[in-house]
Amino acid sequence: MNMPPRWADRLLEWFCASHLLEEIQGDLHERFIRDVQMAGSAIANRRYWLNVLRFIRPFALKRQSELYPSVSLFSPAMLQNYIKIAFRNLARNKAYSAINIIGLSIGLAAAMLIMLYTKDEVSYDRFHAKNPSIYRITSKSLTPAGIVDYLQAYIGVFPGPKFHEGVPEITDFVRYRENQLDMKQGNEIKSQAVHFADTSFFSIFTFPLLSGNPKTALQQPKTVVISEDIAEKNFGTTNALGKTLFFKDYEDKFEPYTVTGVAKKCPQNSSIKFDVLMPLVIGAEEMANNENWFSVFMNTFVLVSPGANLKAVEAKMNQVYVADARESIKSVTKKFGIMGKTVYMLQPFTDMHLSKELPASNGLVDESNPTFSYILSGIALFILLIACINFINLTVARSLKRAKEIGVRKVVGGARTQLIIQFLGESFLLCFAAFLFAIVLIELALPTFNQLADKSLALSYLFDAKLVAGYFALFIITSLLSGFYPALILSGYSPVQTLYSRFNLSGKNYLQKSLVVLQFTLASFLIIASLTIYSQFNFLTSKELGYDDKNLVVIDKSNMKRSEAKLLKEELIKSQSIIDVAPKNGGFWGTTAKINGETQVNFTYETVNENYLPLFDIPIVKGRNFSASFPSDSSHSILVNETFVKEAGWKKPIGQVVDFWFKNEKYTVVGVVKDHHYQSLSEKIKPQLFTMRQSNDYGKAFIKIKPGTETASLRHIQKVFKRLFPLNPYSYKFLDQENLKRYESEAKWKQMMLYGAILTIFISCIGLFGLATLSAERRTKEIGIRKVLGASVGSVVQLLSTDFLKLVSLSFIFAFPAAWYAMQEWLSNYPYRISIGPWMFIATALIAISIAFLTVSGQSLRAAMIDPVKSLKAE
Amino acid sequence: MKRTYLGEFEELVLLTVAVLHESAYGVAITDELDRQTGRSVSISAVHAALHRLEEKGMLKSQMGEATAERGGRRKRLFTVTALGSRALHDIRAMRDQLWDSISPTALPAIAG
Repeated sequence: MNMPPRWADRLLEWFCASHLLEEIQGDLHERFIRDVQMAGSAIANRRYWLNVLRFIRPFALKRQSELYPSVSLFSPAMLQNYIKIAFRNLARNKAYSAINIIGLSIGLAAAMLIMLYTKDEVSYDRFHAKNPSIYRITSKSLTPAGIVDYLQAYIGVFPGPKFHEGVPEITDFVRYRENQLDMKQGNEIKSQAVHFADTSFFSIFTFPLLSGNPKTALQQPKTVVISEDIAEKNFGTTNALGKTLFFKDYEDKFEPYTVTGVAKKCPQNSSIKFDVLMPLVIGAEEMANNENWFSVFMNTFVLVSPGANLKAVEAKMNQVYVADARESIKSVTKKFGIMGKTVYMLQPFTDMHLSKELPASNGLVDESNPTFSYILSGIALFILLIACINFINLTVARSLKRAKEIGVRKVVGGARTQLIIQFLGESFLLCFAAFLFAIVLIELALPTFNQLADKSLALSYLFDAKLVAGYFALFIITSLLSGFYPALILSGYSPVQTLYSRFNLSGKNYLQKSLVVLQFTLASFLIIASLTIYSQFNFLTSKELGYDDKNLVVIDKSNMKRSEAKLLKEELIKSQSIIDVAPKNGGFWGTTAKINGETQVNFTYETVNENYLPLFDIPIVKGRNFSASFPSDSSHSILVNETFVKEAGWKKPIGQVVDFWFKNEKYTVVGVVKDHHYQSLSEKIKPQLFTMRQSNDYGKAFIKIKPGTETASLRHIQKVFKRLFPLNPYSYKFLDQENLKRYESEAKWKQMMLYGAILTIFISCIGLFGLATLSAERRTKEIGIRKVLGASVGSVVQLLSTDFLKLVSLSFIFAFPAAWYAMQEWLSNYPYRISIGPWMFIATALIAISIAFLTVSGQSLRAAMIDPVKSLKAE
Repeated sequence: MKRTYLGEFEELVLLTVAVLHESAYGVAITDELDRQTGRSVSISAVHAALHRLEEKGMLKSQMGEATAERGGRRKRLFTVTALGSRALHDIRAMRDQLWDSISPTALPAIAG
């Protein structure tokens, strides 16, 4: 059968008045068929087109869009009706509305919180006016083979000035480092974090001064710029220009420093946060020693002229380095054989905060792991998704009750689009209520969240256009996500079916089932993650460290001489509650040595005395401990740990010799110390060496006290310290508590996961609750009949619950492998870790099933208890 | 006497509807016009004229039966109303009157 051109027909249908369409189209078709027989279809087609076009005449055109004019969608009467119906529906189904609003508002609140968090994360360091041109100089070390060995986020004293001099595109530089100095105010001495920077600091960075001249504030030695806080604390006013603060110098004397500027508090989203800023002084002999190219300890920032080609600038920098450091590269190579290469790089200042490889450390603060943002966003999306799924499931399931309304609307001429818009409008209304509620929730949750995420966020703090736009978009997306599918389904009901008989959703309802499975998959995943992180945390915090960290007080005293340490011990031991005292160097010292001229070992070295190992209960496995009866111990003996022996490849460690880099001093091994976890458990035990070298000062002392005598001991320690070292700040810590602090990030993860898991479970369950309620309602009659025929309450409950519990069990099939994989990945970061046992999965299954069962069985029980007479009497 | 004005094409269409009697609809009228007058007019012109005539009250119409060749669409069948009939008669009477008033010698002769 030959058909006329489809598009011509469409065109006709589009412009032709509907009451004329039939006869016109009929006539044209009739003519077309004749044309096909007479002249072939090509000509017939052309004539058909012509004929259609000829009908574009006034009489045949549409004058109104519809034969039966419909009420405009936004006519007041109709809107009134929609709103009335929406509110009636919400009010009539309180449980359903509450579930949706609670779920959605928790989901929205979570998503909004995380948006606030990530917004803050990416806003770091963006407030500097000169920003796109500010870079940090970093470097990478290549092995002789040219493979990247490691990246170095900070550098030495040379690159800043020398690259500034030798590379025209680098227009300015500022070096920035941190130290702890003792500060005296009146009679009070306390340890204060002090930052040092070049004069250009205030011209490169945007840190407004309340008073003082930013150009000259850091020019003179013995001057200091302080923050509002410090000014308030020390002088009671921010008007502190010209006043004096005392800081202890390296000769243990307090020197006066003049305040040349008071800076506004550093913004919360800044990697540079200083309270006390002093001019950086680099001694002439330090600048003269070319080997300082190899000592790295400070951050250097440079201004690169706009439009410069970064690759070219980096290349020039490395030319300058290779030319300038030629001599020392040669001499070092002669000393230690072929070395790797250092390559200098530029890192945009704003990338620093979230950089994994080149973090903002060493005097910079708040370095952050971007993974944290990703995981948080993931969890927030989980929660929001689950809430939307609830909305979809409940709306579709509950629509049976509204089927009549939909039927009536259609019969009296409601178009499908109108219905879609009506239902979407309802979901928008619900979302809006949830949105308002979410803002309240955020206010409530912020303090806890800030503690977890280590932030000081407030709703008002980032209230800017972007964030508001983001929230608005979130609201729209959530509304559409949750409203669109139900609107599509509901508006598609056929009026005949809905009005004629008892209407039931056809089909197996696979969508609802799979959505429930998805919900519980996410929830189970998070439960497993929480359990794993929880047990790993427990493992880390309770593992045997290989030494005894209980009842140990640590006090700091910088540059403590041998005689001072001896005196300190003598004085402290006088108290009954003090058992023993052992000094140790402050800080964390590490270096590298060539063993027997070939094997290179990186190790940490500790300056201790013969009391140290016994005090900590660390056993000696070979040889002996330091001892006072061997005078040479204090100059030429060392102890090493087992890992050191392994890495050095010694068969017989005792008597072996180690000579240090840059020092050319030879030391003999007299004993091997048992491996113990002197660092965090997230680090493998590294080679460790103990020395008594006289020229290294001690920096702290460990004091073993009798258990239960904390108060008396601490009082005694403080008294002795104040008497012996009146010019030093006194502070104490308990070692076991310090050790726990190493796992703060794990503790944070643990909390986050736990909250995430609780919320997902909660929202999934309220959704399940809603579904169970509806299904019990729908099956009232069936239950009535079953009971009349003698079914027990138990069997009815079982009947109603198993459907849902099956779905929950099914979700494990998806969740378990995914969780197992993800957790293996996470655990692989830890050299010392738990193994994921089957008990975790069993526990998860039990938790999920039992919570789901509790949720569902309540409803089922209620349905099963109804008197069948009641349920069967009324149709 | 005020009478409705009929255009020349309208008059032809009206006459054709009368000729076809009971089975006058768009395509049929078009074909009949072609046959009787040798004029090939477009369907849309005929439809427009029919529409005008119906508005003037000279035609009435109802939907007829559907046929397969029209893809199952119904025809609109037109019949002449009393007013239409009156108009046709009036025109004819006027023409006759005019012919009667022409003297036999007034018109030039025509061959065959």
